[in-house]
Amino acid sequence: MKRRLTSFTADSVEINVSPLIDMVFILLIFFIVATSFVNEIGLTPKHRDTADPTRKLEPPITFQLTAEGRILNGDAEIGLAGVIPVVRAASAKKAKPVILLVEQGSKAGLATRVMDQAMLAGAKTVKLSAITSTINR
Amino acid sequence: MKLRRRLLKEKETESINVSPLIDVVFILLIFFIISASFVKVPGEEVVRPRTVTAESLQKNAILFALTADNSLHYAGDKIAIDQVRPLVEGLRREVDAPVIIQVDQDADASRLAEVAREGKKAGATVSIATRKPR
Repeated sequence: MKRRLTSFTADSVEINVSPLIDMVFILLIFFIVATSFVNEIGLTPKHRDTADPTRKLEPPITFQLTAEGRILNGDAEIGLAGVIPVVRAASAKKAKPVILLVEQGSKAGLATRVMDQAMLAGAKTVKLSAITSTINR
Repeated sequence: MKLRRRLLKEKETESINVSPLIDVVFILLIFFIISASFVKVPGEEVVRPRTVTAESLQKNAILFALTADNSLHYAGDKIAIDQVRPLVEGLRREVDAPVIIQVDQDADASRLAEVAREGKKAGATVSIATRKPR
């Protein structure tokens, strides 16, 4: 009887914390891995809603992207390298919004690069807009 | 003297105190739990276009993927374009999260424009995920 009592007290003296530490470490590693999971870089082409009729808007610089991958500004065909001079020249005095009209079938990669070039030239607002019919052919 | 030193040495090496370690680990754990943002990934691998002006985007975002075959994906499921707006509106009722579109460089640009427009209509800022130029 006496012996059993002593063994019981010996048991309750120390709690084994190693499983707890193991578990906490596993949780820690999980959360460290989970935090750095999504880390995207990208473009944010902000544009304000133009529904407000009281505010006068600057006429936008319009680019058109055809299905064949041609970049048009008005009637003139400009390459990807021609985007920056056009935007710089048009928004020399005041920043103007840029509208990029994309035809059905045109590549998103090229559209993104046109937007990139326009933003590189200093355009703050770039609007991406889809057109179904071709205008300037 | 010799005996005393040996006794002292034995006492020191007997057990390492792990409680500060546990404290530190717990603090780290709590930090990572709080800073963790669980986003649903679209589950489709896309080839992002390369751009120069790319900047780091918010981590806690609503992610869509537009693949080269022009299908739109959210959280592992293929969805239609008209599902985007109610979905984004529903998610934004809880947190003010932006929309990030992971677009394949060979996807249709007009589809990208439509998805971006739907996201804008839901009141979110829309970003296009890119990668750094070579």
